[in-house]
Amino acid sequence: MTESGDPVTVDTHPNTPPMGEQVHDSAPTIRRVDSAAARTAERPASEGIAALAADNAVFELDELSCYYGAFRAVRDISLAIPQNQITAIIGPSGCGKSTLLRSFNRMNDLVDTARITGSIRYHGVDLYADGIDPVEVRRRIGMVFQKPNPFPKSIYDNVAFGPRVAGFRGDMDQLVESSLRRAALWDEVKDKLRSPGTALSGGQQQRLCIARAIAVEPDVILMDEPCSALDPIATLRIEELMRELKEKYTIVIVTHNMQQAARASDLTAFLTMGDDRAGYLVEMGATDEIFTRPQHQLTEDYITGRFG
Amino acid sequence: MDKAADPMDEHAGTRATFDRALDGVKDDVLRLGARVEHALEQAGLALVSRDTDLADQVRWDDAAVNELQQQINTEITTLIATQAPVGRDVRELLALYHASSELERMGDYAVNIAKLAQQLAGEPETPILKQIPQMERICREQLHAAMRALVDVSEADARGVAQRDDEIDHLYNSVYEDAMRLLSESPERARQTTHMLFAAHHLERLGDRVTNIGEDVVYLATGRVEDLNP
Repeated sequence: MTESGDPVTVDTHPNTPPMGEQVHDSAPTIRRVDSAAARTAERPASEGIAALAADNAVFELDELSCYYGAFRAVRDISLAIPQNQITAIIGPSGCGKSTLLRSFNRMNDLVDTARITGSIRYHGVDLYADGIDPVEVRRRIGMVFQKPNPFPKSIYDNVAFGPRVAGFRGDMDQLVESSLRRAALWDEVKDKLRSPGTALSGGQQQRLCIARAIAVEPDVILMDEPCSALDPIATLRIEELMRELKEKYTIVIVTHNMQQAARASDLTAFLTMGDDRAGYLVEMGATDEIFTRPQHQLTEDYITGRFG
Repeated sequence: MDKAADPMDEHAGTRATFDRALDGVKDDVLRLGARVEHALEQAGLALVSRDTDLADQVRWDDAAVNELQQQINTEITTLIATQAPVGRDVRELLALYHASSELERMGDYAVNIAKLAQQLAGEPETPILKQIPQMERICREQLHAAMRALVDVSEADARGVAQRDDEIDHLYNSVYEDAMRLLSESPERARQTTHMLFAAHHLERLGDRVTNIGEDVVYLATGRVEDLNP
């Protein structure tokens, strides 16, 4: 991407219509980075990006570090997340997986002491540049959390909430139905749309949260251990759903469950923690490669459960 | 770093069961290799010494080879199903699974040679072509070396095993030429000559199976599938 010399524009991405057509009438425009030349000039091409950055990269991270106050939680991560793929982030507890994931949609902005160095480009746009509206960022880049967290409202309102807030004026019934269908939940809830979302089973609640994320027409869905509170059957349903969703969305998932990463993802990034307790990227590659012949001993040791 | 807080310790100890089971499978594959090596030696001996009882013993012993191979397959299948191995672990189990299948097949070749020994013993005595005991000895040495390479996960040793397969092929060609000559010079001994040619053929095939185990070792060591005997 950066080597081609072609400036990347938000408009080229089919899932992200130009800002003028967004549900947000007053949303500030996400500023495009001026030129590829400017971008390559301000940073050295790192190996990670050179290897993975294709024309279809949704995110490009360059030497990204995340801090909470003086503590560096994530150190110097350079990688690219390709479009319409499922990328899994794995690694031991405390290695900064969730912090990294949250940096993708500026969720860490909600933590006062959080800051980053380096850059994250989203379709070539610097996500942390001045003038970027974090609310708009989070609409385009949705998130599903570890514990299903439906609003204490009806199933219908859970899905309709986001579009309403965003000023959606189309056919809400239709939007709710299509969102629930895409989340593979419609058939189970179509007769009880007015029931509280919290009355659903854990797996259904998580799919409701996915429907809620989908309803605002995002481009990317971030998932932070979405199945850790679910039973195996509900877990497999979510994984199956992820495979369907990737046709339309880019998915990044943080998981503790290595078998889930192995089963459900196309690419896997392995993070571990250095002596400074900051998480760093050891290796990223095709999931089948990572799980059958990883390049780094640290990866091998982690996935096979050999430590120390 | 505080040991209790070390995140790398979160799975500490979880490998003990897996490692024990994997070691058990490896031991069984080594035992299988030793059995096949012994069967091959006995079959070769039966061939040159016209010992039909010894040949019978080889044929009987093959049941134990088959049984052990099936036991290994079950152990590996269970480990894959219950432990969901990845990385080198899954490569190792697949390499051991394939190696045990190859060993079982080599055991069958030893049985075939034992049968040929019995048939030859029923014919008027004829000198065994000298290349055949040579092939049998190299096959055994190669098998032994391949099992060592498997245990040591030595890519270099595995490649060495494959290289020596050329010696076996060369001897086989030589047997073939001698057999053709014998068939025209002594047509009355056509049966014995053909039996010997078949014995050499089985040994040549066995050598190729040994090379396959070498390929398993290369796969285990590197993750790459490579044809060592192109």
